[in-house]
Amino acid sequence: MKNLLRLLSAMVFTVSGMAQTSISGTVLEKDSDLPLLGVSVLVKGTTTGTTSDFSGNYSLNNVAEDAILEFSYLGFKTLEVPVTGQVIINVRLEEDGQKLDEVVVTALNIERDKESLGYSISQVDATQVNVVRENNVMNSLNGKVSGLQVTQSNTGVDGSSRIVLRGITTISGNNRPLVVIDGIPIDNGGGGTGQGGGVDRGDALSDINPDDVASISVLKGAGASAAYGSLGINGVILITTKTGNKRPGIGVSLSSTFMFTDIMLTPNFQNEYGTGFFNDFAPINADGKPVLDYPFSWSWGPRLEGQSYTNWLGQTDSYSPQGNPYKDFYQTGYSIANTVAFEGRSDKTSFRMSITDEDIQGIVSNNTLGKQTFNIRGRSQLTDKFSIDGKMTFITSKVENRPDLAEGNGNTALQLSLMPRDIRLTDVRNNTINAQGQEIKWNLDNTFNNPYWALNHLRNTDNRDRFQGLLAIDWKMFKNFSLTARTGMDYRVFDYTSHGARGAQSIKSGLGEYSHNNGKSRIWNSDMLASYKAEIGGFKLTASVGAMHRDEAFNNQYINGFDSKVRDFYNISNYKNSFSSESITKKAITSYYALGQFQWGGYLYFDTSLRNDNSSALPKDNNSYWYHSENLSFLFSRAFGLNPKFISKGKLRASHAIVGNDTGAYRTQAFYNVDQTVTLPYTVASIPGSLPSFDLRPETSKSWEIGADLGFFNNRLMLDFTYFETNTKDQIQAVPISGASGFETVVVNAGNIKNNGIEVQLNAVPVETDNFQWNLGVNFTKNNSFVASLNEGLSSIELGRLWSVSVEARPGEEFGGLYGNDFKRDNFGRKLITDNGLTQRGERILLGNINPDWFGGISNTFRFKNLSLSTLISVQQGGEFYSYGRAYRTYFGTDKRSLVGRENGIIEDGINENTGFKNEVAAPAFLKQFTDIFSNEVSKDQVLDASNVKVREVTLTYSFPQTILRDTFIQSASLSAIGRNLFFLYNAAGDIDPEAGYSSGPTGTAFEHSSLPSTRSYGLNLKLNF
Amino acid sequence: MKNRYHISRKIAVVTIIATVLFSCEKRLDDLYSNPNAVTTIDDAALYTKAVRSLFLETTDLSASRFAGHYGHYFVAGSTARIPDQYGDGFDNNYNAMFDGLYGGAIRHIEEVLTITSSPKTQNPVRNAMANVIAVLAYAKATDAYGDIPYTQGGKGKTENIVHPSYDTQESIYKDLIARLTSSISILQGADAALGYPNSEPIFNNDMEKWVRFANSVRLRLAMRIRFADNALSKATVAQCLTAPLMETNDHNAFIIQTEGTGNAWFNNRTGFPSIKMSVRLIDQLQGSADPRLSVFVSKNSNGTYSGMVNGLDDTAFGASNFADKSDIGIPLSSPNSKIYLISAAETWLFRAEAALVYDEDAVVANQMYRQGIKTALGQWEIDASDIETFMGSAVASLSGVNNEEQIGTQLWLAVIPNYFEGWTQIRRTGYPVIEQRTADNLSQGVTNGVLPTRFLYSSFELNSNYVNVSAAIANQGPNRIDTPVWWDKN
Repeated sequence: MKNLLRLLSAMVFTVSGMAQTSISGTVLEKDSDLPLLGVSVLVKGTTTGTTSDFSGNYSLNNVAEDAILEFSYLGFKTLEVPVTGQVIINVRLEEDGQKLDEVVVTALNIERDKESLGYSISQVDATQVNVVRENNVMNSLNGKVSGLQVTQSNTGVDGSSRIVLRGITTISGNNRPLVVIDGIPIDNGGGGTGQGGGVDRGDALSDINPDDVASISVLKGAGASAAYGSLGINGVILITTKTGNKRPGIGVSLSSTFMFTDIMLTPNFQNEYGTGFFNDFAPINADGKPVLDYPFSWSWGPRLEGQSYTNWLGQTDSYSPQGNPYKDFYQTGYSIANTVAFEGRSDKTSFRMSITDEDIQGIVSNNTLGKQTFNIRGRSQLTDKFSIDGKMTFITSKVENRPDLAEGNGNTALQLSLMPRDIRLTDVRNNTINAQGQEIKWNLDNTFNNPYWALNHLRNTDNRDRFQGLLAIDWKMFKNFSLTARTGMDYRVFDYTSHGARGAQSIKSGLGEYSHNNGKSRIWNSDMLASYKAEIGGFKLTASVGAMHRDEAFNNQYINGFDSKVRDFYNISNYKNSFSSESITKKAITSYYALGQFQWGGYLYFDTSLRNDNSSALPKDNNSYWYHSENLSFLFSRAFGLNPKFISKGKLRASHAIVGNDTGAYRTQAFYNVDQTVTLPYTVASIPGSLPSFDLRPETSKSWEIGADLGFFNNRLMLDFTYFETNTKDQIQAVPISGASGFETVVVNAGNIKNNGIEVQLNAVPVETDNFQWNLGVNFTKNNSFVASLNEGLSSIELGRLWSVSVEARPGEEFGGLYGNDFKRDNFGRKLITDNGLTQRGERILLGNINPDWFGGISNTFRFKNLSLSTLISVQQGGEFYSYGRAYRTYFGTDKRSLVGRENGIIEDGINENTGFKNEVAAPAFLKQFTDIFSNEVSKDQVLDASNVKVREVTLTYSFPQTILRDTFIQSASLSAIGRNLFFLYNAAGDIDPEAGYSSGPTGTAFEHSSLPSTRSYGLNLKLNF
Repeated sequence: MKNRYHISRKIAVVTIIATVLFSCEKRLDDLYSNPNAVTTIDDAALYTKAVRSLFLETTDLSASRFAGHYGHYFVAGSTARIPDQYGDGFDNNYNAMFDGLYGGAIRHIEEVLTITSSPKTQNPVRNAMANVIAVLAYAKATDAYGDIPYTQGGKGKTENIVHPSYDTQESIYKDLIARLTSSISILQGADAALGYPNSEPIFNNDMEKWVRFANSVRLRLAMRIRFADNALSKATVAQCLTAPLMETNDHNAFIIQTEGTGNAWFNNRTGFPSIKMSVRLIDQLQGSADPRLSVFVSKNSNGTYSGMVNGLDDTAFGASNFADKSDIGIPLSSPNSKIYLISAAETWLFRAEAALVYDEDAVVANQMYRQGIKTALGQWEIDASDIETFMGSAVASLSGVNNEEQIGTQLWLAVIPNYFEGWTQIRRTGYPVIEQRTADNLSQGVTNGVLPTRFLYSSFELNSNYVNVSAAIANQGPNRIDTPVWWDKN
C-alpha cells in the first residue's frame, strides 16, 4: 500500500529529469527528520539544479567536484555544501528563526510587505474560515475584522448576508464591498426580499468554497482599494485560493464537517388565552364552526382552563394551551461538507485539485441545499522569465424550497406565530386540504396559509451553475521590467421555478400559480500591468502602468402563469393565463491606471495611484472620471533603531484617496416599455416610474485615514489603530420623489454623506510557554454616517419601509433614522387619552437609528499541547430595529406581552384629552393593542434596541501528535468540535434576534418581520492530510 | 538576429494590447442603449395606457376599500373593512392611491399632451382628446385629496418638476372646466382620422360621441361646484346645454377589461376578503321595488337579499353573520363586466338637477329625472316591462317635496359601479343622507361618526414634498379625513 502511494506520488510530483546520478542524497527537516519535498538544489553559479522529491531524495549528474550545492527552501535557512568529491550528500535544513515579514495580498493581487502599506488591511487566514465552515464564507468573518459588519439574514439555508465595510457611504447603492478572487472581481450581489414577502435567493458569495480559501484580505479604505476604481468604492475583500503546496506526504487532504442546526431563539408566547374575542368564544356559524375571521380567529378569547368548546374544525374539544409551535414545526437541521484536495508542488509547477460536496437540511423540513464545487488551480514556471497561473472552478447547486418571508403568505413563522394558542399543531397538520383540494385553515385571512399547506403546496427550486475561470501570465520581459496580464470570468446560470398549488385563496384566488425564471450573468475582467523596478542608492522605485476592461452582461427570461388546468402539474402549458418577459443588461468599464511605489531606507514608503474609468452607463460626453490615492508608511521603530524588546514594531501610516463611481446601466436615457397584453386589440406602452437623468456626473468619494501599527515585547502585544473619514458627494441615486410628479424615483446626483470612524485591533499573547499559549484578539469599530445634505428640495429619502415605519436619510441627521408614528402627546410629553381610554396617533418622529454605536469582537485562543480552544464573542452596542413580528403577535394576542390587562383592561398612562386629568378609564387590552398598532399605526413600542453580545464561535481542536501518526500514512490529522451562533450573553430585544431581517440590503437590519427562529449550529470537523 | 526576433515579438504584443484597448473603448458606446425598450413611440400607445389606467382606477383601493364603504354600497370582510369604521390609519393605502393616480393615467397623458403639442408632432385633435382624459384624472385626484399638484403635477418628465407645488381645488376646477370647453370646441367637427383610429378604447374614435362625452364630463364638473362657485357652475351648465350631451346608453363611456383576471370586482366577489352588499343599498332598492336589485345584489344562501350594516364595531360585526350576507351582483362582478367613467343616466340626472335649481323648471326637471332613471335601468338590460312598471312608481317621478334628495338618491344608484363617484355625490349634495353614527354598536372612528370627506396626504408625500404639501395643508385645513374639500359645502 505504502509503495503504491509512493509510486503514485512519484508519478505526479517528480519533475526532475531521469539523468544518471553523480550525486544523490536526502533532504530532511532538522527538528523532525521528516523529508522535505521540493527543496531547490542548485549548483552554485550555474543554472543546473533539481528539487527534492516526495521522500526528500534528489539526484544530480555531471557535477564538478569543486562545485558548491545550494539547498534552499522557503521559510528555511539556505544551506551551502561543498561537493569535494562526495557522491552522497544528506542534509538537514533548519527553519529560519527570523520570521518573514508579513506578506499580504493587496489590490490588483500584488503581494506586499504589510509594513510598507499606508492603509489599514486585515488578513484572515484559512483556518478561520474552513474549520468553522459556513455555507457563506463571509459569515465567518463576523466579529473578526474591525470595520466589517456582517449580518446573516435569517432566511433559510443559503440565505444572504449583509456586508458593510466602514459604514454605509452611499444612500441607495448596494454598499457591498467588492469581492475579488485571485485577482478577478466576481459578482457580489446581495439578496433578501421586501416586506411583502418572497424568498431570499442567497447572495453570490455563498458560492465561495471555504475549503479552497487560503487567505482573505480586507481592504477597508479607498486608499487601499483605489486601484479597483469605482468597483472598490465600498472596500474590497480579496480572497486568495489555495494553490499547490509543498509538504510531506502524498498531497491528499481531506476535510469533513458535520453540523447540526437547531432553534436558538423563538418569540415568547403566552399560554393563558386562546381563540376568541373580548374574552369570549367566537360565535358559531350555521356550519357548526366558529367564525374564522378577524378578530375571532385571534387569541383574545377566554382563559385557557381546559373547558369544553367548539374548536376551529367544528369539533368539541378541550380548550388548553398547546405550547410553542415553533418547537414542533421546525426540526433539527444538519449540514455535511466533505472536501478532498490533491496538491503538489515542484520548483517549477504547482497544482491543486479539489472537490467539495455540501448538503444542508434546513430547519424547515423541505428546505435543502446540495452543492458540489470542483476546483483546479495550477501554476507553472514555463521558462525562467515566463510563468502562468490558471484556475477553473465549477459550482453546481440546487436549493429546494427557500422559505417565504415577511408578509408572504407562505411564511410559516408568521402563520405559526399568529396561530391561536389553543390550536393543536397536529390538527393543523391533519387538516390541511379537503376532498375538493381546497386548503383548510383556522382563519380566512389571505395573509396566512395553513403552514403545512405552505410546506406541501407552495414550493420552489433554485438551480444554479457557476463557472469561474482564470488565466494569468507573468512575463519578465527585460531586466527590471515585467508584464502581467490576467483574464477571468465569472459566469452564472440560474434556473428558478416556483409554484403555488390550486386550492388556496391566497394564491390567485385559489386558481394556482407557476413561474419559471432563468437566465445568466457574465462578468468578464481582463487586466494587464507593466512594471518597472529601479534602485538608486537607498531609493527603490516601482512604477507600473496598466489597463483593465470589465464587461458585465445579464439576461433573463421569465414566464408566469395562473389558473391551472390539471392538478399537481407544474409546467407553463398547464396554465390558462400566461405571461412572459425578458430583459438584457449590459455594461462595460474600461480603465487605465498608473501606480508608483517609492521606498527609502527600508523605513519610509510612499505609494500613489492614478486611475481613469470610462463607463458605458454614463452619458457619452461625461463618462470618463479620474481618481487617485496616496499612501504613506513610516516605520519609526526601524528609522530610529528602537529596542525590539520593547517596541518591536512601530509604524505610522496615512492614506488619502479620491474615488469615483458610476451607476447602473440605462439610467441616463428615457424610454418606453411596450406592455404585454393578450386580449387588447391595440398597443399599450408605458413610461417607467423612474425618471432618468440626462446629465449625471460620476459621484466622488473622498477619504483619508491615519493609523498606527505598534508591536511591543517582541510582538507579544500588537495594536493597530485607524481613524478614517470618508465623504461621498454627488451620489448617484434613484431618489424617491413626490408621487405627484407622476414618477416614483428620479436618478440624480444628490446627497453628501460623511462617514468617520475608529477601528482598533489588539492582539496579545499573554502567556506563551512550550506547552501552553494564550492568544487574545480584540477589535473595536465605531462608525458614524452623517447625511450632510440632500438634493435641493429633498427633506428626506426613504430607504425602506415596513408597515408604517420607514428608514430614512434626512439632512443634518445620522443616516438610517427609523421614523414612525408616536402617540399623540401634550407639550409635556404626556399621552393624550380619549374618553374611551385609548391613545391616539401623534407626530411622525425619529424612533431610532439602524447604525450601532459601536461593535466589535473578542477572540481567545488557548493552546495546550495538541489541544486548542478558540472562542469568538461579538458585541454590538446600540442601533435600533423595528419588529413588525412582535407588533403582529401583540395585537393578535399570541405574544406574551399581550397578557397585560386581559381581564381588567389597560389604563393608559396619560391625561384625558378633554378634561386634562389623569386617565382613569381602562380600555380593553385587545382594543388598545389593535388600535395602537394597526388602526393608528403607532410604532413607538416596537422599535427595539439591537444591542447584543453573542457567542459566535467556539472551537475545540485536537491535533493528533506525530508520535501517534508516525507509523501511518497520515501526515497530520486534527479533529475539531465546533459551535456557531450558540447563544446570546445579552440581548436587549429579549425574544427577538436583532439580526433576523429578511433583506441583506444596506438597510436590511432595520426590519424584522416574523422571521424564522434563529438557529445555532454545532458539530465536528475532521481534517486529514496524507 | 535572435535579438531582433525577440524585439519584434514584443512590439507585436504591445500592438495587440493597444488594439484590444481601443476596441474596448468602442464597446462602451455600443452598450449605452437599452435593448429592452424603445426610445420613441407613437403617442397612441401611451394614450391607450392612460385611458385604461383611468378606467382601472375606478376599481382600485379608492373604491374597494374606501368609497364603497363611505358610499354605503357594501362592507368588506376581515380587516379590509376597517375604513368602514371611519379610521385613518391607512398611510400605505393613501400613498398607493396617490401614486397610482399620478403614476397611471396622469404620467402617461402628460406625455401625450406634450407630444401632441410639440411643434413637430402636434395634433390638436389628439391633444383635445388627451385633455379630456387628463381632466378626468385630475378631477378624481382633487376629489379624493382636495388641493393637489395640478399645474406642476405629473410634470416630472416633461418639465423636470419633482417637487410640484399644490394648487387650490378652486383654481383646479376652474381650469379643468376651461380645458374641457376648449377641447369640446376642437372636437366638434374634428376629422376623426386625426384622432386615434384603431386605438381608441372608449368610443372607437367616434368624434360625435367624444363631444357628448367631453361635454357631459363638463356638466358633471359644473354641478360639482354648484355649492362652492354657484355663478361659474350656472354659467358652465348653460354652456353645456348648447352642445350635445350623452343621451342614450350608446353614449356611455365604458370598457370591458378582460386582461388578466378581468374585471376587478370578480376577484372581490370570489376572492378574499369578500364583500357583502350594504343594507342601505338593499333597503333603497327593495323599498322602491327597483328592478336593479337583482343586478346589483346577489341573493344569499337562503335565497333572500340580506345586507350588512355599515360601520359595525368588532363585537357587532362578529354577531352579524357576515358570511351569509348578500354578495355583489353577478352583472357587476363577472370577468367581462363593464367598467364605467360616466354614463348617459348620470348626465340626465345632472340635467334634472340643473333644471330644478338653475332654471327652476320643475316640469323639465321631472322629464330629465325620468329620462335618467329610464336610461339607468336600460343600462342594465332590464326587461322593458319591468322598466315600465318601475317608471309608474312614485320614486320614478319628482314628488315636489324632496326633489333634490330624489335626484341625489338616483345619482347614487346611477353611478354604480363607479363607487368613488357615488361617495363624491353624497359629499356634494348630502344625498342620500348618511347620518352621524351614534349607536353603541357603530364605530365612530376618528371623525366622531361623521362620514369622511377626503383621503389623507400620506407620510411619504409629506417626506418627499414637505414644503409644498405643508402649504396645501395650511390653505385647506388640517390633514384629516373629515376636512371638507373646497366644493364640499353640505
